[in-house]
Formats: sequence, C-alpha cells, structure tokens
Amino acid sequence: MITFEAVTKRYPDGTVAVDALDLEVPAGKTVVLVGPSGCGKTTTLRMVNRLVEPTEGRILLDGRDIREQNPARLRRGIGYVIQQTGLFPHRTVEDNIATVPVLSGWPRAKARARARELLTLIGLDPALARRYPHQLSGGQQQRIGVARALAADPPVLLMDEPFSAVDPVVRGSLQDQLIGLQTELHKTVVLVTHDIEEAIKVGDLVALYRPHGTIAQFAPPERLLGDPVDDYVAGFVGFDRGIRRLSFFASAGLSLKTAPVLGAGATVARAQDTGEPWILVVNDGKARGWIPSDRLGDYPGDTPLRQVPADGVGHTFAVGTDSLRAALDAAVLSPAGEAVGVDAAGQVVGVATFDQLRAAIQAADAADTAEAAAARAAAAADNSKKQDAAPAEEAEEGAPHPAREASPVPDSHRGAQP
Amino acid sequence: MMWSWIPQNWSLIWNLTWENAKLGVLPALYGLVISLPLGIVAARWRWFYPPVLTVVNVLYAIPSLALFIALIPAFGLTDTTVIIALTVFSLCVILPNVVAGLRAVPAPIRQAATAMGYSALRRLVTVELPLAIPVIIAGLRVAVVSNISLASLGQLIGVSSLGYLFIDGLQRDFPTEIYVGLVLIIVLALVCDLILVGVRRALTPWEPRRERRERQERAVPARRLAA
Repeated sequence: MITFEAVTKRYPDGTVAVDALDLEVPAGKTVVLVGPSGCGKTTTLRMVNRLVEPTEGRILLDGRDIREQNPARLRRGIGYVIQQTGLFPHRTVEDNIATVPVLSGWPRAKARARARELLTLIGLDPALARRYPHQLSGGQQQRIGVARALAADPPVLLMDEPFSAVDPVVRGSLQDQLIGLQTELHKTVVLVTHDIEEAIKVGDLVALYRPHGTIAQFAPPERLLGDPVDDYVAGFVGFDRGIRRLSFFASAGLSLKTAPVLGAGATVARAQDTGEPWILVVNDGKARGWIPSDRLGDYPGDTPLRQVPADGVGHTFAVGTDSLRAALDAAVLSPAGEAVGVDAAGQVVGVATFDQLRAAIQAADAADTAEAAAARAAAAADNSKKQDAAPAEEAEEGAPHPAREASPVPDSHRGAQP
Repeated sequence: MMWSWIPQNWSLIWNLTWENAKLGVLPALYGLVISLPLGIVAARWRWFYPPVLTVVNVLYAIPSLALFIALIPAFGLTDTTVIIALTVFSLCVILPNVVAGLRAVPAPIRQAATAMGYSALRRLVTVELPLAIPVIIAGLRVAVVSNISLASLGQLIGVSSLGYLFIDGLQRDFPTEIYVGLVLIIVLALVCDLILVGVRRALTPWEPRRERRERQERAVPARRLAA
C-alpha cells in the first residue's frame, strides 16, 4: 500500500506541481492517475520512487516512510515503466530485463534465466533474448520495458504513460495484457495517463486530477462515469459517459424473450402466429438472420423459414459475460433493434428489446447507486470513528474497498442520491 | 623520384614511421585519459564546462611550434616536449566529444537507469560511458590523425619523426624523400583511423548502422589544420 499524506511539491520558481495531496493506493490494486498535462500526475508518480522529492508531507510504502530507505535500494523494489521505454540500447533484451536482478546481486546466469521466464510471461518469443532493443518493434520494446520492471518481482509497479507511444491496436493489446498480468500477479500499480479511456479500462481506481496538482475525484471508474462530482469531472470523462459506464454492468440480469426465435424448419404460418414484428431464424442453435413480419405475408403459410430471405444478424452478445454496453451495442446494430444473446458456445439463448435493455440498465443503475451510497455511508462512519479514536488507525483489513470513496471532495458536493 | 632510395634507407624509414606513430597515438591516449574525468565533471556540473572550454580553446589557438618552443625550457629537445604539446591539442578535440557524448545519452535512459536503482557512479560506468563511446571515439580519431600530421613538426626541435624526411629532403633538394614522407604520413593516419573504427565496432556491437553514420556527422568537430 502506498500512502500520500499531505504531499506538496513546490519548485524553486514557485510552481506548485502537487498540492497537499492525500491519496491511498491499496495493495494489489491498479490506481490510474489521469488528468490534463501539467496537472502533477507524473510528479506524483515520481515521488514514489524518489526521482522527485516532496517539499512537504510524507509518502509511506506499507506504512514505512520512503525517506528512511536508501534511494537505490528503494528503487530496486519498485518496478518502473516509461513511455519512451528507457531500454538500454547497448544491452541485449535479456540483459535489459535482467537489470534489476543483476543490480541486486544475482548471478548473471540466474538473472538471464529469469529474463527468459519473463519473456514468456509477457508473450514474447524467448528467441528475442539476444536481440538489441532497436531491432524490435515499438510494441515489443514496450513489453520488454514491462518485463524489465517485473524482473525482480517488486510488489509495486509505477507506469508513466506506458502505452502512449504505440498505435491504438498495440495499445489495446498491451492494456489487455496488463489487466491479464494483474489478475495473476496482484501488483500495486500506479499508472499515469492522459487518456481517460485507458484509465477506465485498466484502473481499479481512478484519480482524476485538476490542473494544479489536486485530485478532483478518486473513485472506481464506474463511479467516475456514473457519479462525477462536478462539471469538471463530467467534462473530462466525456459526453457519452452514460453509455461507457454500461461496460461495468453485467448482462446477467437482462431478461430475454424467446418467442421470436424459431428454427429454420418452422413455417411462415408459425412465425406469423407469434405476433412478433421480427423473427430470428436459427439453424442448429446458431443465429441465421432476421425476417421482418411484413415480409412473411409474401409467402404461403407452409413455407419453411429457411426459404424466406433474411437480414443479417449484426453481432451478438454473450449473456452473462458481456456487459450491458455490448448488449446495447448489439441491439443498436441489429436490423430488428433487438440484441441477440448467445451462450458460451454461440447458441442463441434469446433476444433483448430496447425496453428490456432499459429495464436492465435502470435496475443495474439503482443497485450501483445504492452500493455507492452504502460505501459512502460506511466511509463517513469510518471517518468519524477514526476521529473518535485518535491516533488514526489503518482502515480495517476486511473492508472490500477501503479507498473506494476516499474522495477529497465533501459528500455534499457529490451527485444527487435517489 | 628515385625508387632505389627506399630499400636502401628501409631501417631509417621504419624507425621514423614508428616514432611518428608513437607521437600521434600516445598524446591522443593521454588526452583521452585527461578528458574523461574532466568531461564527466563538465557533463555533470554544467557551470564547470564553459570556463574549461574557454581555456581549452585558447590552448588550441596556440601555434604548435610556439607551444613546442615554450615547453623546451622545462623539457628540453625531447619526445616529452612534443608529447605534452600534442596531448594538449588532443585534449582540445577529445574533451568536447566526451561532454557531447555524455550529454547525448537520452534523458529517458538516464532516468530509467536511476529508477532501476543504479548508483550515480555505476550508472556512469555501465550505462552512460558505454553509450558515449561512439562520440568519444569520433573525437579520438580526429585527435590521432591530426597528431600524426602535427608530429612531423617535432622535427623542427629535433624530435625524430617523418618530418625528418621533409627537412632533409628540402635541405638536400631531394624530392623523393619528401614524397616518401608525405605518403607515409597519409598511410599512417589512414591505418590508425581504420584501427579506431575497428575498435569502435568491437565496443559497440549494439549500434544500428544507420544511426552510426548520423552520429559521427553530428559529433566530429572541425579539424585542426596542420602547421
């Protein structure tokens, strides 16, 4: 866990990069610092490994003031990844990755073996071990940068715009990889980005900075989207935050209807009996196409549906695993305006109309808002308890999200409650 | 051109070439040894560099012969006099390249090294200096080539070098000797330069070839004209 206590960084020319910052990065979580350039997010990050020293306040790593430790030794326990990779051009890939183990006194052979292990972990061919960085693509270099940061298995990982210099496709895969690594490794990650999409995608918690080194809101990404504390935050997360927030709601609660789903062998008369405006034709459980009900009238009642021309299905969503955003998107792109839900094997489970989607969204929203209110109340109770029982104790270990609502903004400024 | 003169004077020619090579290479190496600590300090503490550079440039402006003569009272008509003078000139060429090479290490690489937990000294020795090698060797090449040419002037104060062939050839009105001396100086300079190119390639197997050329063009300072 990394704790910032009233940390201020003021430069000799009077510029305040970080202003009385209180922030708690819970162990094993990914916290994303996001904000406009010059907002102090990178300064915040660099203070953790003492590349920048705070002017006031203190920073604790697992309860210990980082100034008590020798900077070089402190840094060997903190992985560091930067946008420009910072790979050593004169060292091979394996020696780059082995940097921190070698610095920590491992025998070179053992360090190189570890490097090869990491190449596999990050999904690169171990045959690249003997190449030099300039022989690799930007995306590969960035992966090597991540591998190097992980080499000595540090509990903390600092990432400064790690994916900003690569193209969007590679960026997406690097982000997915980070999320994947995190589910295995549970590092305490602090990641700086100016890209709110990236923050929302990879962060367990997002700290959104205001221009002069203060945090506007510190919350899980779905809360940032659903419950921005003010216009600044709402503006920063973007106009379509309502839709993007649906990414965090599972489609499990969505009710589906099965009446319009008919086999290819069913007759036109049968389809007309359903009274549905659109019929989804399935063959062996797979969606074949949509037929509008007015087209059915052109064919004799005993015609099998496979002989009636059908419109494309668009894309489907996996019921339960995909989010409501995917389901909504499937509905928007469907000619019928209805989303086709499938199971893990791709077999059609049912279809969802906009009305059903709306009901699911409202239910999810209500549940989420209630959870937020409960968390807020718990945080408030926790705070008052702390004030009673001075000196302040650490948040109880059992609390599921001790820092979720640790927003520096008073509750009264937050979004309206239902 | 009297070709038979060459085999007849083979041992003289060989000795002079060897002496000239020593006068070219040793001062460059001494210059490197002095430039490294000065350059490291100048790259680290920026205020230190401008005054040092001024001194170095003033020294560089002294005509070589004048410097030889100025050193004679202390060191006499010896190799030492020539070597000291050429070391000073080498320093003038190599020092700016050491500073440029160290300063050209990209900030993200330096920062990454610090963040990995390098001490300042270890970072300098294992990251910054290796990355500065191409630029430093570029300076060394200029120094060696210009020293080989300047060393011939040592003959004017009686220090043997290929310059002997020029003076002797002139005094005896015997052009063959002058041509031989000229060709040998050029060949010697080329050979030393090639050796240094080889050394650089051996020390920097990691360098992409394309960048190699660009970096040289950027870093080589103007050549000092002999005499």
